[in-house]
Amino acid sequence: MATKNPATPLMGAETNMNDLTKRPRIGESFIQGFLFLCGILSIFTTLGIVYILTTESLAFFTRQQWENTNKPIVADITPEETVLVVGDAGASLIEEDIVRLGEEVMVVQSIAENTITVLRGQQDTIAVSHTAGLQLFRSNTVTLSETITTTKWIPQLGLFGIWPLLLATLMTSLIAMLVALPLGLASAIYLSEYASEKVRSMLKPILEVLAGIPTVVFGYFALTFMTPLLRSIFGEGRVEIFNTASAGIVVGILIIPLVSSMSEDALHAVPRALREAAYGLGATKLETSLKIVLPAALSGITAAFVVAISRAIGETMVVAIAAGAGPKNFELGKDSITGFVLNPFLAAETMTGHIVRISGGDISYDSIDYNSLFSIGLLLFSMTLVLNIAARYFVSRYREVYE
Amino acid sequence: MKPNTSFSNGSVAVEAKEMQVYYGSFRAVKDIALKIPTKHITALIGPSGCGKSTVLRSFNRMNDLVASARVEGQILYHGSNIYDTHVDPVEIRRRIGMVFQKPNPFSKTIYENVAWGARINGFKGNMDQLVEESLRQAALWDEVKDKLSQSGYSLSGGQQQRLCIARTIAVKPEIILMDEPTSALDPVATLRIEELIQELKKQYTIIIVTHNMQQAARASDYTAFFNMDGDRAGYLVEFDNTNELFTNPKNELTEQYITGRFG
Amino acid sequence: MDNMQPIPNQSETTPFPEGEALKNQIQWRHRQGLAWRLLFIAALLIAISSLIALLYNILNDSFGYVVVINKVDPQRLALDVVEEQILNTANTVSSEDDFELANGIANDSNGIGFFGIAYYQENNETLKLLAVDGVMPNAETAASGEYPFTRPLYLYTADAVLQNNQAANIFLNYLLNNVNSEIETVGYFPATSAAYAAAQQRWLSANPGLGLQSGQWVSIEPDGMAGTIRVVGSSTVFPLTQHMLEQYQEAGFAGNFGNESVGSSAGLAAFCSGQADFAASSRPIQSGEIEACRNNGRFPLEFQIGTDALAIVVNNQNSALNEVSTEQLQQIFTTATTWNEVNEAWPAQAIQRYIPGADSGTLDFFAEAVYQTSLASLPKDDLVRLLATNISTGRGRALEREQRFYESALVFEDPATWNEVCAAPAGERPSGCIAEPRTQEEVYDLLLAEVIQPDVVKVYNLQNSLLNRTAIATEAAALYPNGEITFRSWLSADFITDPQSSTPEFAGVRTAIFGSLWVIFITILFSFPIGVGAAIYLEEYAADNRLNRILQTNINNLAGVPSIIYGMLGLAIFVRVLEQLTSGAIFGAVESTASANGRTIISAGLTLGLLILPLIIINAQEALRAVPNSLRQAGLALGATQWQTIWYHVLPSALPGILTGTILAVSRAIGETAPLVVVGASTFITVDPSGPFSKFTTLPIQIYQWTSRPQAEFRNIAAAAIIVLLAMLLSLNASAIILRNRYSTRSI
Ligand SMILES: Nc1ncnc2c1ncn2[C@@H]1O[C@H](COP(=O)(O)OP(=O)(O)O)[C@@H](O)[C@H]1O
Ligand SMILES: [Mg+2]
Repeated sequence: MATKNPATPLMGAETNMNDLTKRPRIGESFIQGFLFLCGILSIFTTLGIVYILTTESLAFFTRQQWENTNKPIVADITPEETVLVVGDAGASLIEEDIVRLGEEVMVVQSIAENTITVLRGQQDTIAVSHTAGLQLFRSNTVTLSETITTTKWIPQLGLFGIWPLLLATLMTSLIAMLVALPLGLASAIYLSEYASEKVRSMLKPILEVLAGIPTVVFGYFALTFMTPLLRSIFGEGRVEIFNTASAGIVVGILIIPLVSSMSEDALHAVPRALREAAYGLGATKLETSLKIVLPAALSGITAAFVVAISRAIGETMVVAIAAGAGPKNFELGKDSITGFVLNPFLAAETMTGHIVRISGGDISYDSIDYNSLFSIGLLLFSMTLVLNIAARYFVSRYREVYE
Repeated sequence: MKPNTSFSNGSVAVEAKEMQVYYGSFRAVKDIALKIPTKHITALIGPSGCGKSTVLRSFNRMNDLVASARVEGQILYHGSNIYDTHVDPVEIRRRIGMVFQKPNPFSKTIYENVAWGARINGFKGNMDQLVEESLRQAALWDEVKDKLSQSGYSLSGGQQQRLCIARTIAVKPEIILMDEPTSALDPVATLRIEELIQELKKQYTIIIVTHNMQQAARASDYTAFFNMDGDRAGYLVEFDNTNELFTNPKNELTEQYITGRFG
Repeated sequence: MDNMQPIPNQSETTPFPEGEALKNQIQWRHRQGLAWRLLFIAALLIAISSLIALLYNILNDSFGYVVVINKVDPQRLALDVVEEQILNTANTVSSEDDFELANGIANDSNGIGFFGIAYYQENNETLKLLAVDGVMPNAETAASGEYPFTRPLYLYTADAVLQNNQAANIFLNYLLNNVNSEIETVGYFPATSAAYAAAQQRWLSANPGLGLQSGQWVSIEPDGMAGTIRVVGSSTVFPLTQHMLEQYQEAGFAGNFGNESVGSSAGLAAFCSGQADFAASSRPIQSGEIEACRNNGRFPLEFQIGTDALAIVVNNQNSALNEVSTEQLQQIFTTATTWNEVNEAWPAQAIQRYIPGADSGTLDFFAEAVYQTSLASLPKDDLVRLLATNISTGRGRALEREQRFYESALVFEDPATWNEVCAAPAGERPSGCIAEPRTQEEVYDLLLAEVIQPDVVKVYNLQNSLLNRTAIATEAAALYPNGEITFRSWLSADFITDPQSSTPEFAGVRTAIFGSLWVIFITILFSFPIGVGAAIYLEEYAADNRLNRILQTNINNLAGVPSIIYGMLGLAIFVRVLEQLTSGAIFGAVESTASANGRTIISAGLTLGLLILPLIIINAQEALRAVPNSLRQAGLALGATQWQTIWYHVLPSALPGILTGTILAVSRAIGETAPLVVVGASTFITVDPSGPFSKFTTLPIQIYQWTSRPQAEFRNIAAAAIIVLLAMLLSLNASAIILRNRYSTRSI
């Protein structure tokens, strides 16, 4: 019995089954384009950060601040004249200095006894006549060398020496490292090499909880627990309410989970065979862990340390709350280095702390203070970027060895 | 049928008596009775998973490192059971060294790889001399003498394995356990290691696990054949002089195995 | 130890330790190992204990005893309301002179009144004493406290008085000696023996020159004593003091005395300002009065000299009444007009009330005992009235503009100005024009904040509060005698539902919670789709070329940029460059009262979005990588396009991982503070955010600000806010876990 097999084509009759040419899929391309944009946004974020930080820093270094020379002009001057007569001889001006009379900006050409030859109406201002007695202002810009070589950060006085802020950041970070590295690494060794699976599964979540607590809470902890503790140990007279030691220690505590989990990962990545080899030679557990496993995990652990330093430098809330509410300005040669400049029990504002305090207040966007924050930000960004890249290098090294 | 566990001449380096090894509740090997002759090469052969490594690792308490592992019965070494509570596994491993399947040099220099074990074990002599001597014994000296301060990882696989052997003999063990030491190596490197092992038996008792029948036949003096039962528990089928075992197996299973009919 | 036989040396001279030396060497190495092991454990324990210390510290600051000093006693305010009601009831005669009241009732057959029982005793032929709740007042029921209206009678004086005025000092000695035997003749009852002993002890302490031990007593003969004694105060106590003074004179006192019946309050005021040697009072001195006294250098000493059973009396002719209940008394003195309204059996005649005046302690006592009101339970009208009498009109107007008190009636504002103000365009109109009127509870809270103004003057931490309860009580009593010590939970329902306030006692975190939720909402809205999109691109589409490697490296590096840098980016881009957009100006959504420029929720949300974007991408990438390739191949082999494969197969199986990763990133964002400070979170804001273009504050910002305050109480609310924040994070993480579990069981 023959069964009729009706022709039921899967596709419509007009479709040519053999046409396999690629057809553009608008929807697919559109989606792919959108996803690509999502990915590329992160590039824009980086570019945005770099652009904002550099332009504002440039503005910081080029912004004119008008400083009163306390030298009034003694003769009226018409728009056409180019010679200013000033009160006392030889104003402390030099050629190329930019000066201002009223609204008008001029550039100094040459200086004689008590006359100054100027170019009139500079920087988009118009030459107008001025009457005698008007004060002469000189333009002053912050120079890079000034910020690097001076040791006072007092924006109101136009002093922008980065050292007080930088030193405070370095100090809190150093103290934090002194706390976090040994504790974090030792915890990692214990968890990875010693603890039984049960103990590990009990203790690890605790460290994870520590890692999940917002930093502002640690700031509170520093101020209400660590500071009183330090003060009760070292004496209220020696330890100020705000101090870098307390902030640094707490930043260290906050970083322990990071150090410990990254180090533990690195230790974990060390092959079992290496441990067995050591045991096979008659090594004890300590000898195996400390002299075989640890060196083998060194690049990973270094990466952990570097990331931790970067975290400590960028950490903000703890230092903003507990380290100090003003830069610890100092004068080299005058202030004792160990007694004052590097004394961890004194208040000192860090770079991040300064940014938070100033931007948290009423800050005018059109001011050198505002620009100065971004130049601090640029320094901070560069420091952490270098550290992060270094960490990535170390991580890739330990991956290479064991993969 | 009880396997023949005796050998005619020479003394016993180490002996397993009624040994059972468990991983948790799983019995990996059962009722092992085995005497290892001093300064000879004893090969352990058998199908994969039958517990050769497990037995081998029991000889220097390497199984202590596996949390779930438990050894019952006795392993007699110089008259003491190494599993007695007062015996220190560190000392046992110092006397019974081990070479592993995959070369596993430390991430240290070649020199340190050899010196480290001796140093932690309180070596008091001339370290340079010891390193040279060990590397020479491992037939590696000529190849590495100019780059002692390079990382152990800079060597080829075969060289790494010889480095591991050098490292093991540097602490002057009495017995060396080798768990398939050539399985990760190319034929040329394998040959060199096999030659080396022959050299080493003059000074050391060697127990070697291999799944390569030719290797066992060629390189060993005695052979122990293991198999596993229906519960996947390994047991010793036959132990004999290697020649005897390969030419005249007493047990049918042994014959089937060495002729390649299973395993 | 030596079960192991010595092992024969392989060579005669081995460079390794052997035998005993080997044992010792290994021993030593093991000991070293143990020491280090302990060090490792110690390190971990330190890390863990710092977490414990942190949490402990938070709890320690969130709960504990506090000493509160109310500017105005809330009970006093409540009594004021009740007394006002009583006094304003029709047919009520009030007088500070209890004789007048007794006479009034004696001459009025419908009269009823209350006063010290001594006045009844004196007029017991014309008056009838009523039983209250079935109990007649007499010596026994007064002593046992069975009679509900028993109260101590006091004499107040000060150290300074006893030292400078011997006449007064000896009088007090005489009184304490003899009052128990004399008091019944006046009509009152003796004080309890404990109170009596305490009074004697107090007198002894004030006379250290006598060299007496506690428990001893001396009675000094007033013979020939000269000088002047002035007693002022309660009309209730008056007959007793008068009697004792007369006795004192009879016993030989040769000087003069004055005794005035002006009411307890007036008496205490006179005493505190130094116009009298003794204040007689039918109620205990109040905290405000103590403070007034102290300000004048007088530290009041309290002597209980007797017990009164407040007598409820009617006219002798009134045959219907023999007994009343407390509830009936409530009606009689306020709501009822005729007797039969209270009890049908009683006559249908108008009630005539004779009561002590507003200055008397007796009225206070009666109001408190009979009406038992607390401020919180008073009706809204009463609370508003109290508010109106206690704050300035200016302040009242401000409050009314913020939120009015009644739907249609105005309390402080005059209608004309109100209409004018409320006619302003929508943005400039005060919130009071629109918002619902305040509820009774809100008015009560206002009364607390504006009038009672409880001030926390001393805080004890939780540990102290639990362990040194008694020490705290004595210390607080010594330092703050007019303070009230209570156990306070800084974390409370009010704390969560109240808006920000400048006084820590009233501050809450509602605004901050809403702020946090809004900001996080924007953050998720922005970063989740983009983050997952980017991850899909990198994992599923991106070829291994230079651009994509740069992209990946860049994302990894962004994850390590300090959060404050993102804040600066947000400030420069969202707040300033995109101000038109982020302030809502473009959409015409600017709320002029809450004008925030670009410092709005949307700026904050986007900033945090950028901040957690790399985290979301990295986590999502990991989740996508965990999806087995076979799944993709299966999808593609069925003829699905790449996107269809991703959408229908890869994404669903990666979703739990992506969501958990996102939740972790979001919890990071919730706790972020620094970038939001930089972007410009508001420091003080009491209105809830109403949309993405509102000003904002968040919980961490709030914590930061409170932590930075010098006053101790701000630390407490910072701690309470931390608990709220941690609870929020905890529930978020718990939801991540639940989510993960649910998906992973479903996929099996
Ligand atoms: N660490 C371990 N945990 C649990 N079971 C194991 C472990 N090591 C080996 N086994 C089991 O013990 C049995 C013997 O293993 P092994 O000694 O490695 O065999 P062989 O070396 O002969 O191949 C196998 O079934 C294996 O699965
Ligand atoms: Mg094996």
